[in-house]
Amino acid sequence: MRKVLAVIRREFVERVRTKWFWVGTFLGPLLLVGIIGLQIFLATRSGGERRVAVVDRSTTGFGARAAEELERAVPRFRFVGALALRGDYDSLTQAVIAKELDGFLIIGDSTLERGSAEYRGSNASSLTDMETIQRALGRVVFATRLERSGIDPALVREAEVRVNLATLKITGSKLTTETGEQAFGLAFGMAIVLYMAIILYGVAVMSSVLEEKTTRIVEVLVSSLRPFQLMLGKVVGAGAVGLVQLGVWATSFLLLTANQRRIVGLLGSDSAGSGFQLPQVSAATFLVFLTYFLLGYFLYAAIFAAVGAMSSSEQEARQVQAPVTFILVVPYVSFFGILNDPHGGIATWMSLFPLFSPIAAPVRWAASPIPFPQLAASLIILLATVIGVTWAASRIYRVGILMTGKRPTFKEIVRWVRVG
Amino acid sequence: MTGPAPVLALDHITKRFAGHVAVDGLSLTVAPGVIYGLLGPNGAGKTTAIRVIMNIFAPDRGTVLLFGRPGTGHDHSARIGFLPEERGLYPKMRVLDVLVFLAETKGVDRRTARARAGEWLDRLGLGDWRQRKVSDLSKGMQQKVQFISAVLHDPDLIVLDEPFAGLDPVNAEVLRDTVLDLKRRGKTVLFSTHVMEHAEKLCDQLCIIAKGRKLVDGSLAQVKQTRGGRHVVLAFDGSQGAADHVFADRRLVGKVEDFGQYAELELAAGADPQEILRRLVESGARLSRFEIAAPSLHKVFVDLVGPDAAQATARPVGETARA
Repeated sequence: MRKVLAVIRREFVERVRTKWFWVGTFLGPLLLVGIIGLQIFLATRSGGERRVAVVDRSTTGFGARAAEELERAVPRFRFVGALALRGDYDSLTQAVIAKELDGFLIIGDSTLERGSAEYRGSNASSLTDMETIQRALGRVVFATRLERSGIDPALVREAEVRVNLATLKITGSKLTTETGEQAFGLAFGMAIVLYMAIILYGVAVMSSVLEEKTTRIVEVLVSSLRPFQLMLGKVVGAGAVGLVQLGVWATSFLLLTANQRRIVGLLGSDSAGSGFQLPQVSAATFLVFLTYFLLGYFLYAAIFAAVGAMSSSEQEARQVQAPVTFILVVPYVSFFGILNDPHGGIATWMSLFPLFSPIAAPVRWAASPIPFPQLAASLIILLATVIGVTWAASRIYRVGILMTGKRPTFKEIVRWVRVG
Repeated sequence: MTGPAPVLALDHITKRFAGHVAVDGLSLTVAPGVIYGLLGPNGAGKTTAIRVIMNIFAPDRGTVLLFGRPGTGHDHSARIGFLPEERGLYPKMRVLDVLVFLAETKGVDRRTARARAGEWLDRLGLGDWRQRKVSDLSKGMQQKVQFISAVLHDPDLIVLDEPFAGLDPVNAEVLRDTVLDLKRRGKTVLFSTHVMEHAEKLCDQLCIIAKGRKLVDGSLAQVKQTRGGRHVVLAFDGSQGAADHVFADRRLVGKVEDFGQYAELELAAGADPQEILRRLVESGARLSRFEIAAPSLHKVFVDLVGPDAAQATARPVGETARA
């Protein structure tokens, strides 16, 4: 045990001593602040003024009226004169290219009859811009059609009201103050951090194994330690570094949450807190996150250790590492699928499958608590897999670290595991 | 068995790699407190034998007894120090930290390891380097650091694979003194080499192997006796004269090792050494030495393995351990 501690200590101390550790540890939170700041910046200054020409191709003069109404309804947009152009879009297109206009909206009779209109512009890919125009135009069409059916315009204006949907998450049996956006943000943050941390520290274990193998120091080490002790010490040591780094990040995250208003104020936004809210992290969520991180890390670190042991150069290891990393990408990219239906088939299946659950289960949890039997099943399956994989990996490791020359075939690796 | 129980006993060790026998039924015993030389040409199986002793490879057949008990390598790791043939230290670690860590893996506590590492570094002239990174050191210095790591935990048996390779004469001297000092303190040293001068000066006991098989073992004197015959060692002082003709006379000389300024002759049966001396002087050779002596270890070695050593045995590609 004391020998394992020595390996853990070396792994930890040597890693913490590098400047990359400090860069990563303190740049991480700075990056977080930067991302949040950028989001606030983009939210408060969303795009600036847009100049849009309205082309009236209607026979009833609806386009001209719509232009007036739009101009009044959307402050951020300047809807310039309803040009009575027929077919000559080229000059308008030129104006867009020359940046005199952002785009032009073509309104015809069909707009009022069938609700179809056309927009061409340089900002067509901006979802917010398009939604703003679509919604405003829809309201104008709606009001005009009501008036055409003989309803008093005053009554129509009276009936128009914008609905703001406040989303609050229900966790277990109680209502939280957490909004839907916060739950999304939390899940997203967890997915990124878990994915990055598992890959980062898993690969750290791999290169550490490789270093000992290529420098041949492993010959001295295996004459004093059992390979399993060596691998265990490595995995735990690199994992401890990961925990410290995550700890620093978590602390700075909590500080951020606590001083959110002040920071938002510092960033020059007057509407403090209205733009972006950092999610609250409950103790249960934190525990779920930590448990899955640890188990996921052990699972992948063991695999990466075996990969390092069976390769004889950095390049070779990278080739084998790619498919392992790819497995972990699957739950990461399934993120939206899990959030859309946290109790659906995909989410349930992914949070049970041990290679995916370290990321999938916490993400699902952040969206909506996982029923206890499922959570227990997920953890038991994961734990059993961790034990099994560690056992197999330590056997591959044992043979691999002393092997030189060409990379073993898959058949040989299977034999190493079976024979040990 | 007479005498003290051996520190190390190999009993018919065989280790095969894909289609190639590296060690073939090797048996040897190392008594406590001796310096034991494992000698052989390149590719003879020295390193493989040592790796089997250190439990880096499991033998295919045969048993290893360490300190009279079965079990290899790490079962006795606290009592064994090991300098592998392929040197390696963590290049980015500081010298002192590497030594402390390696001692810790042998079960020494940190404080003791620190103190002893400092002493050893001073002793081998590396005191100023203790806080430097390993990668800042020259190859020779790294080798000394690695040697320290092999003796830091005060082991009873020290296994050194080619300890003199890569050392300049001054450092080789330092290492030799250190090894002799270990012997004086009752430690047992097993080392491998293919340089006979080192072996001849250091070894109490030795074993010569080639192609994985033992050719001869025993004390230095015993090994020399196995070659029998009478030998003459001679050195020239400038001119060899027509010594070639004398050496070529099969009535006088059996075998010749001619180094130019130095030569070793094995006398032919019934030949008189005085006759050779007379003939040499007549031939115009100027001699600085003429001695009737036991053969040098070098001579014994070349006689024994000469034919084999010439055709180098290819090392197998893709050796796999335990496979």
